[in-house]
Amino acid sequence: MATAAPASGQISTRPGAFEGLRRSIAVATAHNRRFWFSLSLITILLIFSLLGPFIFNKSNPTKLIGGLYDPPSSEAWLGTDNFGRDVFTQLMYGTRTSLLIGTIAGVVAIIIGVTIGTLAGYHGGRTEEALMAFTNIVITIPSLVILILLSIAISNRSVVTMGLIIGITSWPWTARAVRAQSSSLRTREHVDVARISGAGPVSLILREILPYMLSYIVMAFVLQLSSGVLQEAALAMLGLGPSNVISLGIMLHWALLWESVRTGAWWAFVPPTVLLTMIAFSLLLLQSSADEIFNPRLRRR
Amino acid sequence: MILKNVRAHYSTDDGPVVRAVDGVSFSVADGEVLGVVGESGCGKSTLASVISLTAHPPLHVTSGEMLLDGETITLTNQEHVPPGWQGRKVSLLPQRAMNSLNPTARVHDFVIDVLRAHDSTITQQEAIERAQERLEQLSLPSRVLDSYPHQLSGGMRQRVVAIISTLLNPSTLIADEPTSALDVSSQKELVLLLQLLLDRGFIKRIIYITHDLPMLSNIADRIAVMYAGEIVEIDNTKAMIDTPRHPYTRTLIGSTLDPDPRVRESRIEGIKGAPPDLRNPPSGCRFHPRCSYVMEICPRETPPISGTDTNFYTCWWLQEQTAAANFAKVQK
Amino acid sequence: MSKFQRYLFNKFLWFLLAFSIALVLNFLLPRLIPGNPVDSIVGQMSQGGGVSGESLEKLYAAYIAEFGLDQPMWRQFTIYVGRLAQGDLGTSFARSPARVQYLIMQALPWTIALMLPAILLGWIVGNILGALAAYKGGWLDRVVFPTSLFVSSIPYYCLAIILLYVFAVHWPIAPAGGGYGYDKTPGWNLPFFVDVLRHYWLPFLTQATIFIGGQAVGMRAMSVYELDADYVRFAHGLGVSGNRITAYIFRNAMLPQITGLALAIGGLVSGGLISEIVFGYPGIGTLLFSSIRTSDYPVIQGITLLVMVGVLTANFIVDIAYGFIDPRIRAKTTGES
Repeated sequence: MATAAPASGQISTRPGAFEGLRRSIAVATAHNRRFWFSLSLITILLIFSLLGPFIFNKSNPTKLIGGLYDPPSSEAWLGTDNFGRDVFTQLMYGTRTSLLIGTIAGVVAIIIGVTIGTLAGYHGGRTEEALMAFTNIVITIPSLVILILLSIAISNRSVVTMGLIIGITSWPWTARAVRAQSSSLRTREHVDVARISGAGPVSLILREILPYMLSYIVMAFVLQLSSGVLQEAALAMLGLGPSNVISLGIMLHWALLWESVRTGAWWAFVPPTVLLTMIAFSLLLLQSSADEIFNPRLRRR
Repeated sequence: MILKNVRAHYSTDDGPVVRAVDGVSFSVADGEVLGVVGESGCGKSTLASVISLTAHPPLHVTSGEMLLDGETITLTNQEHVPPGWQGRKVSLLPQRAMNSLNPTARVHDFVIDVLRAHDSTITQQEAIERAQERLEQLSLPSRVLDSYPHQLSGGMRQRVVAIISTLLNPSTLIADEPTSALDVSSQKELVLLLQLLLDRGFIKRIIYITHDLPMLSNIADRIAVMYAGEIVEIDNTKAMIDTPRHPYTRTLIGSTLDPDPRVRESRIEGIKGAPPDLRNPPSGCRFHPRCSYVMEICPRETPPISGTDTNFYTCWWLQEQTAAANFAKVQK
Repeated sequence: MSKFQRYLFNKFLWFLLAFSIALVLNFLLPRLIPGNPVDSIVGQMSQGGGVSGESLEKLYAAYIAEFGLDQPMWRQFTIYVGRLAQGDLGTSFARSPARVQYLIMQALPWTIALMLPAILLGWIVGNILGALAAYKGGWLDRVVFPTSLFVSSIPYYCLAIILLYVFAVHWPIAPAGGGYGYDKTPGWNLPFFVDVLRHYWLPFLTQATIFIGGQAVGMRAMSVYELDADYVRFAHGLGVSGNRITAYIFRNAMLPQITGLALAIGGLVSGGLISEIVFGYPGIGTLLFSSIRTSDYPVIQGITLLVMVGVLTANFIVDIAYGFIDPRIRAKTTGES
């Protein structure tokens, strides 16, 4: 696969201290603002989806409280959906499910990706070649297709199943990035020192390599989480979402199937759209601002 | 070549100004190699940008002029440099040769662009021939012209960059840490090449900027020591190495002239204290917080320049020492 | 064999390998459905009523024979591959006796007509905007960059839904979905064509907008990276003209963008799936949607195969083209240097 990543393999013994200084000033002001902003957005999302049902005392998303697409009212703040269920309650539970699936997918993808990436980067040679060849093949085969095929093969899809299948199709990017990181770490001095003092490969990887990639892994997780949420929504809109629960994608699926857009029932599709956008935007912002803080050299201008 | 009162700073959108070069003046004679040495962050690379007329925002030059071969240029407007200066009068040999050539063009394509930028009548063939001739004169293989940068070894690439930067026979070459990423033998070859360029008269003088004092002692005729954006001492190379005067020069030489390069690397950073924050430099003599000879006057007043244009230092303690010595002489 | 030929040969082997794996997955995964897919589909039909017991049995036997479902797995696979080689993707369950390839060929032109121009327009406009934002900076950058970033971070199907609502329902200046009016019959005549255009522009602009955002962000990042490169400073310091330097920068920044274009074209089927559903546009996405709803496995499999072939082929072409265009890749992969 031809992917273009600007490689800055230059060893600069003396990075310009003024550049560094200028940039750290910039970080301390503008970039941290974005970081805090995205973090508070995510906190709001979490509170809304986890504590919302208790705060607003609306904890039964399947209860029928009205008819087809009743407009917003004092009882149903965001109206009702095509079945006559409360959209606001659905939204809280849907956000929860979407985030949960995204989190499971992210964890699965990170575990696979980091394992493969670290092993490849640490061992080098044949192991690396084989693992990366495998990764490249998985990258080339479009994950949406595999997800569709897997989803139709599994007729009863729980939240965990959804997270798992999304996770096992989305790890290759992480594996690639982690391999690059760990193979550069492998030659660092502190790793050599540990190796000379008799540390085995497992303890080397766990103590000398993984900790140095932690910020990196966390950021990769954030990206995987966000893409997991969006993948779930895409599958759900195709009619392949999790069974018997509400997710943001499933809300959109029903809204589309029951013509909410054409009948002008905006309350059925605008809220999940906004929530999905908020999740995607805040996670992207978190990732990019955290990246700037952790890897100041990546920053330009 | 005479450089007068160069001041330049980095400005950030809302942050304070970083005064990276603050009142630097010196002169370089024909055929001379002037070394500029200092710790990282002392402003030496900034100085290279300013003299080579390549400063661009956020670096702003606030004052300074350069006299070169009978012409004067003010350094403050580097967005619009008069034609004929860049590459011809002054030329930069940059730090990272690895990235200094366009990775997707063959070397000869760049050579053509460089030569035609200064003489639009020259044909592509003539341009290539001129570069071939130059390479042969310097005993380098002319086939490098047909290579892509990544096909050349690190040392060869840096030599090619040196050849291109001197292709227009600039009277002054500014070498900004040209050897920092090279192995020892490539470093030697580059230094020999620079010497050869000077001997053959392709260039008239070199300003060689580095943190590597031992390397400088091999090539430079005179050395200027920079600290916190200022030049604290200029002296002939031999005199400076044998009898450093300024307290900072002493620590620098003490810490760097160790035969083991790794010890040098660690020691140059090991000078007591950190280089000052140039957003808010120390008052008086900028070295006073790290100086072991610090006196009561040092934080209060800026030390005067003692000596001549080509050989001076700025230090209260030294001045007192000299005065005391003179007084002792008179007493005798 | 020269090194470069070996590179091409290697890439071709890669392509074959990836393609075989894709084929096996495409064959195997739907067969993991517990029981027999034909059981469930015939069961659904009998529940619907209206189909007599006798004809159900005939249908059942016909499907079993066609897919060889009573044969061992390896035999089923050879049957599958053999038919594929003849361009036969089987019979649709839900729209029997329509062939899958017929259904796909009916939908595919719609998808291509929507996605290809949208990708091209989005690519051109996005790259120009991104390059200008990076090169000119100033107010342009301050407007273009955050806007593109925001647009590209909206999930594309969300954008499609909102645009459909705003321009077809709230201000009804576009028809609310579909590829043409219900009162029209498809044909090569002017009224139909005009009607198609009327339905076309909103999904088209939506797709183009989505693509512009992503391209502009990517191009800006690449250009900013290149503008900051050491070779720019060096060339500038030698008095090389601004135009020549700009040419270097954009050539280098464009290389990855060209990859992006090829991959987007290769992935155009999957790229439009969900937007088509939102707009009720009669392309592959809508066909997939209805096939999933009716458990029409042969059609689903046909579509997933189509997507895989498109993406794998585009990847292969990009790899080959890169070998020719970018000397760095050529060097890395052939071991020259």
